[in-house]
Amino acid sequence: MAKVTDMVLLNKPGEKILLLGNHAIARGALEANIAIFAAYPGTPSSELTDTMAAVAKDAGVYMEYSTNEKVAFETALSAAWSGLRSMTAMKHVGLNVAADTFMSAVGMGVEGGFVVMVADDPSMWSSQNEQDTRVFGKFANVPVLEPCSVQEAKDLTKYAFEISEKFKHMVILRTTTRSSHMRGDVVLGELPDEIVNKVRRHGNFEKDPTRFVDIPAHSRNFHPKILENIEKIREEFANCPFNKIEGNGKVGIIAPGLSYAYVKEALSWLNIDDVKILKLATPFPVPYKLVEEFLKGLEKVLIVEELEPVVEEQIKMWAYDKGLNIPIYGKNIVPRIYEMDTKRAVIAISKFLGIETPINFEELDEKYKEISSVLPPRPPSLCPACPHRNSFFAINKATRKKAIFPSDIGCYTLGVLPPLNAVDTTVAMGGSIGVAHGLSVALNGATNEETYEKKQVVVATIGDSTFYHTGLPAIANAIYNRSNILVVVVDNEITAMTGDQPNPGTGDTPHGVGKRIPIEDVVKAMGADFVEVVNPYDIKKTTEVIKKALEVEGVSVVVSRQVCALYRVGKAKRNKEKLPLYKVNTDKCTGCKVCISTFGCPAIFWDAENNKAKIDPTMCWGCGSCAQVCPFGAFELVKEAE
Amino acid sequence: MVAVKEYNIVITGVGGQGILTAANLLGWAALNEGYKVRVGEVHGMSQRFGSVISYVRFGENVYGSMVPEGKADVILSFEPVEALRYINYLKEGGLVFTNSRPIQPVQVAMGLANYPSHEQIKDIVENKFNAKYISFDAESIAKDAGNIIATNVVLIGALTQTPDFPLSPESIREVIKVSVPKKAVDLNMKAFDMGIKTAQELLK
Ligand code: SF4
Ligand code: SF4
Repeated sequence: MAKVTDMVLLNKPGEKILLLGNHAIARGALEANIAIFAAYPGTPSSELTDTMAAVAKDAGVYMEYSTNEKVAFETALSAAWSGLRSMTAMKHVGLNVAADTFMSAVGMGVEGGFVVMVADDPSMWSSQNEQDTRVFGKFANVPVLEPCSVQEAKDLTKYAFEISEKFKHMVILRTTTRSSHMRGDVVLGELPDEIVNKVRRHGNFEKDPTRFVDIPAHSRNFHPKILENIEKIREEFANCPFNKIEGNGKVGIIAPGLSYAYVKEALSWLNIDDVKILKLATPFPVPYKLVEEFLKGLEKVLIVEELEPVVEEQIKMWAYDKGLNIPIYGKNIVPRIYEMDTKRAVIAISKFLGIETPINFEELDEKYKEISSVLPPRPPSLCPACPHRNSFFAINKATRKKAIFPSDIGCYTLGVLPPLNAVDTTVAMGGSIGVAHGLSVALNGATNEETYEKKQVVVATIGDSTFYHTGLPAIANAIYNRSNILVVVVDNEITAMTGDQPNPGTGDTPHGVGKRIPIEDVVKAMGADFVEVVNPYDIKKTTEVIKKALEVEGVSVVVSRQVCALYRVGKAKRNKEKLPLYKVNTDKCTGCKVCISTFGCPAIFWDAENNKAKIDPTMCWGCGSCAQVCPFGAFELVKEAE
Repeated sequence: MVAVKEYNIVITGVGGQGILTAANLLGWAALNEGYKVRVGEVHGMSQRFGSVISYVRFGENVYGSMVPEGKADVILSFEPVEALRYINYLKEGGLVFTNSRPIQPVQVAMGLANYPSHEQIKDIVENKFNAKYISFDAESIAKDAGNIIATNVVLIGALTQTPDFPLSPESIREVIKVSVPKKAVDLNMKAFDMGIKTAQELLK
């Protein structure tokens, strides 16, 4: 169980290790001799990016955390134009950000292999929507490869580079939360000499305006070429070593990506072995030749795929044109929403075959529903000592909770939960400022003479990384158009939600120190009407500054800066530093519950026996905020930091 | 190695309790014993002190990383109510092994929800879901061993003593030895052995 970096760089072909899906993809990229990697983190893709960051130096790879997915995409794309193998990674919604470049660049092709790793999140474990990137691939005419295991995640990555280079066409490697965050046994392949000897190769860009300048006269040539390419790739995929026909029988099941794993398990659970299976690693373009071979002798077919009927639509359309008269089942049996699992596969296959499920799932659901009233909810929450809690608390105090609170995507989105309830809208990365501006126009008129007391006040919150991601154009727009809003940048100096990646506000890069860009300087230069930096651990001061900012007409910006608690505590633990610890003085605690009902640090719980608040010493990270919140001074420092 | 077609462990608890580490440990032990292994874990938002579930699976029949509902051989829980939250994963006659110390969710502290009593949890597991329920204070045992951080190792030690558990304590010890910092090896070994001893008592 060595360190991930050691495992990913381990040059012992044939060695079997346990790897996370995302780690395996990083390994696959290295085995494919990747030279450039650029990405913006997003769950569930982040570990791929972090692994590349961790090994880049030792592998001679250039790696960067870009400010957003579009920029990352352009960085990697142009490297591929220059003949180097390159990669970018993002979550599904990240592709929306990169979409502008993505759609236009397809026709330009690439020289070095270019793989776009996109991690979907069916069931939305940590995302704002459920979208199927295979549809995007089909829309843009970019081939989509999808692994069914961790081993395949590695091997398919290498194959993706080969296909991309062979057809000079970018390729999407699509994963899901499950395949990215599954650990499985992987047999390592060989690392190329350049990676072993950390030789950074240089690209060579050959000018060709008819290819790289997409003025209409040039781009008109792209589309026919793209379609032609896709048909060639469709042919190639009939021989893709990761597509496979297995088993025998009169009925067949087509299973793309991870659905193959669920189908295999479902069949073994159902004790069925006379089914023919088409395992598909290439959901787009579907290799018709292989499907034709598969369908031979079958009486009916079921397509078990997660989310959208991408494979189903391709096959049905093709079968209709061919005049094939075989019943094809798909989304009429298999759910179109949320993620696939073995239970869903079992239910679908049982329906398809007209048999009973091995256990009565409905009965189980009923039983579970009965007990669910006993279960207290436990949603994720802001960490103990999280500075965002203090920022929200101060905003609530300063506005008496009367304002409207557009917020953004990050840990601070958790400010929506009680007791803070300080998030009214979130749409997409960087959206809070755009929404705040729109609300300010709609509710107040752009600017008018009334004081903020009489208006519906708009207070937007946005994180530091998100600010650079897509907050920048939005704040330029708000300032330019004379909005009347307060923007609180909750700056914890790190991209916390995805695992502590640096950003321009941090200044560090995986290759060493970069150049730090302070947010307050940026907004001052843009012409914000009020700019001040506060430390949210000082709640009183923070509240005062927010109040002051609210009185200013125009765009006010308060940068609420304090490093992420999880990051700080992690570092302290590694350095063996002791954190201060607080406790409740039961003589002073009146049981008013203000700390719980307005602040809500998870380390503070309610001792119902004594009607007092209590601190769980294993959870307190010693920020001292509760001491500022309690009206009776009941929270006391027990142990100074050593 | 005893040939196993499929063994399924569901690990649950609260984000931040070291559940991923526990899952990874068991996964490596299974790999070293020659099994095909799948570990399913939770990342991102759900880790921030929310309810967490991880899966460890090994054996020939195993493909996906999620234990199917109704198929877990055992639920290993770091917090009592979290065992109950995922009880639908347990097979008929399965086993729940839980650390006994509750962690109160903020909603309970605020008075918006109740935390069920120990008896209530035990009753539901045993009588509604026909499973065996064993709870013990793994945290105090870890503390006695030297550090509360070793709670997960105590729980895993205990787990090895459950009937038909396929992995040997020895292979788990080997993984612990190479995965924790050198200075912490002794402490973890002690915690592991104390977990084993406790389970032997409890399972008598
Ligand atoms: S990770 Fe950092 S920013 Fe996120 S909730 Fe925890 S302390 Fe706050
Ligand atoms: S000092 Fe108070 S507010 Fe800060 S982490 Fe500890 S209990 Fe929570």
